[in-house]
Amino acid sequence: MSNASPSDRSDSQADRVDDCLAIGSIVSSNSHMDYTVEIYNETDRERAPGPDECGFGQPVFVHKTIQGFEYVVMGVIYDTRLVDPDQGRSGPRLAQRDQPQFTPGYVEERTKFAGVALLGTAEVTEDGTIENPSHQMPRWTLDVEDIVERCPDGVTRAFHTGDDGGLQIAYIERLLDVAGPLGAEVTLALVERLRESFPAEGNQRVLNVIEKDVRWQSSVDRGVMR
Amino acid sequence: MSSPSPSSATTGSGGKLVGTVAGPGDGPNEFFIVTPDEQAVKTGEFITYSVSVEGESQDVIARVTNREQARGLPETFMADPNVAPETVATTLGVPTEDIDLYRLEATVIGFYDTQMQTFSNPRQLPRPGTRLRTAPDAMLEAVLPNLGVDETDARTSSGEVDLSSVDVPEHDGLAHMGWLLNRETGAVDLHVPIDEFAATHLAILASTGSGKSYTAGVLMEEMMMPDVRASLLVFDPHGEYDTLAEMRGEETFAGDDGYQPEVEYFDPDNLRIRISELSVGDVMSVLDNPSDRMQERLDGGWRAMQQRDSRTWGVDELMDEMRRQYGEDDASVGALEWRLRRSVQRNDLFTTDANVPLDDLVAPGRCTVLQMDTLSRRDQQMIATVLLRRLYQARLAAVRERGDDPEFDGEIIDFPLFSLFEEGHRFAPATGEAPSLGIMRTITSEGRKFGFGLGIISQRPSKIDQDVLSQCGTQVTMKIQNPTDQDAIKNSVEAAGEDVLRELPGLTPGQAVVSGDAMNTPVLIQVRKRHTQHGADSIPATQEWRTAHERRQEQPTRSENADLGGGESSGEVDLLGDE
Repeated sequence: MSNASPSDRSDSQADRVDDCLAIGSIVSSNSHMDYTVEIYNETDRERAPGPDECGFGQPVFVHKTIQGFEYVVMGVIYDTRLVDPDQGRSGPRLAQRDQPQFTPGYVEERTKFAGVALLGTAEVTEDGTIENPSHQMPRWTLDVEDIVERCPDGVTRAFHTGDDGGLQIAYIERLLDVAGPLGAEVTLALVERLRESFPAEGNQRVLNVIEKDVRWQSSVDRGVMR
Repeated sequence: MSSPSPSSATTGSGGKLVGTVAGPGDGPNEFFIVTPDEQAVKTGEFITYSVSVEGESQDVIARVTNREQARGLPETFMADPNVAPETVATTLGVPTEDIDLYRLEATVIGFYDTQMQTFSNPRQLPRPGTRLRTAPDAMLEAVLPNLGVDETDARTSSGEVDLSSVDVPEHDGLAHMGWLLNRETGAVDLHVPIDEFAATHLAILASTGSGKSYTAGVLMEEMMMPDVRASLLVFDPHGEYDTLAEMRGEETFAGDDGYQPEVEYFDPDNLRIRISELSVGDVMSVLDNPSDRMQERLDGGWRAMQQRDSRTWGVDELMDEMRRQYGEDDASVGALEWRLRRSVQRNDLFTTDANVPLDDLVAPGRCTVLQMDTLSRRDQQMIATVLLRRLYQARLAAVRERGDDPEFDGEIIDFPLFSLFEEGHRFAPATGEAPSLGIMRTITSEGRKFGFGLGIISQRPSKIDQDVLSQCGTQVTMKIQNPTDQDAIKNSVEAAGEDVLRELPGLTPGQAVVSGDAMNTPVLIQVRKRHTQHGADSIPATQEWRTAHERRQEQPTRSENADLGGGESSGEVDLLGDE
């Protein structure tokens, strides 16, 4: 099954947006910046995302074509929820002890939802890489059933590279706001990813400062520091 | 916002636009300003706005007293000194250009009232939204010192009243002390009216090494300029003013009429006090613990001697007189004789006849320096006491026009005097233990009427008699960190507001706060360079040690034997021998 997957773990450094692992589709939104994605399971896709491919803090994107131009709308998983319609239901059961094979299963109805906060947009070039990343709020809405793909590290890196070639995380205040109670954690998870993508010492120091600031601010907000 | 448009102001449009009034401040004369530019406005800067007072637009001057950041990058961006906060800000997409906003606190000084010739407080704060400009340099030059600029002075050729048009250096009798510290070097020159501090006295207060003697030198130079030609008398206990003689022959000091300042030095050899000039109190102060009876005897004898026509009597004549009054065998007179001979007769300072004629001592255009560095403190005080008393009497006689009286045979000085006291706390100590204190108190409180000004220079304001210090109408205060001395300034110097006191610890040598009668408002200045050399530098110890050592190395002396390594003869042995 994994052989047939379009995108493998080994090429997560890829910097192209085509051929990425689809991890789910949009089912609803809470606001312009905050979407709910239903994660694919084995019944939906041959190559369903593994737990580490749609985890907390995973950068994702939606590939859109708008007025003939291709864009990616970048986002990050900031929350997950499990839904089991069978939960709390004690019956009825058609199955007898000696007929286990007839037990109607609701397995396919158990599902995993992920909250995705939008980070910004970027243009897709002809060779499938991205350029002109913008950390402004995207103007377009995504649609229900838009496919959300896992963002490879190369694209994540390109998205966080500013015009001057430096590190850029300009969406941070909006993310902290949209992600609510887990805002600090998702930011820190992103910072952790960026540490690997931007190993230069200067960038690491900037990330240190940002990380400390976020940690300190959340600790203050939560009342464990002042 | 309907603030008066700058074009309606007479002079306000000249300065650079620096900020906008945000609203009233804490005090009744304070207001807040918001300014985006971090460099333009410093604390202590003079800014101006226009208000309408009785139908006329007036430029009100205010002083910036405090500045704090109203908006800027958060401190957390500065967590790592290796990372510039701007880098963090750029990474996070925070704008870094033109985001700093500063909130300044300013205190209204007032608008210059050409009729009152001083500042007048409009009692009206600027409205929020009023635009503020830096006060024009030329205007500050005219209004900060107490120059008495009136409407005629400020009228331009077109008939408008413009304070910036006053040509300050054209006025006579001004001392160019330096320039405003907040502005560029020489942009706003401070010219202090000499008449003002020569009448109401001057105090130069600063800790050692901050340039008080230098500043005094600047003032003395200014007072010897051809447009002033003062009569200066300097009491110099350290011999610091020996370089002033350079004024002679210096082009700056030469007048069109051939005037050259005279600089006369008096050393202890030609500084003598005639015994008959002393008062009985002066004599008491130099005697060792005279008993009450002795004091009574001396008082009687002294009074009888002063009644005599002769003024050339000495201790011998005094003793004869006391013996005549109290009998040959009076024990107190006998004890007095021993004391008088020890303290008065054997002291070279006191003579029976010679007396420096006051005309030799002081004259217009002459700076007389009394070099007293070899004298004891008591003798210095004694010289000051006697000279001041004589000069004061001579001025008193001149003002009361005693010169016309044929009966009058005293001395007369028919021009005002200004006398400077280096180490002023020696002559007017707070402890009261100086014979000169009495006459100094008299001159500081009465001298104004008789044209006799004093200048007190001291590094220990707390050790100066508070009556004397509080009478000094103009103050030049430099760096002072000692809290006792700061308190002394606060308590005795009326014009020293909190603003002034707050500046004192932060001043560097050569920077001074000038306040008091000679100023319309206190200002912070950089004292100008002296035309003559400064004579009071510290001795370069390491260099002198080195040369002294080299000298000794060249000429072998027995001190070489005292080498500790030799073990033959050393300090240790001597110490043991002494036991």
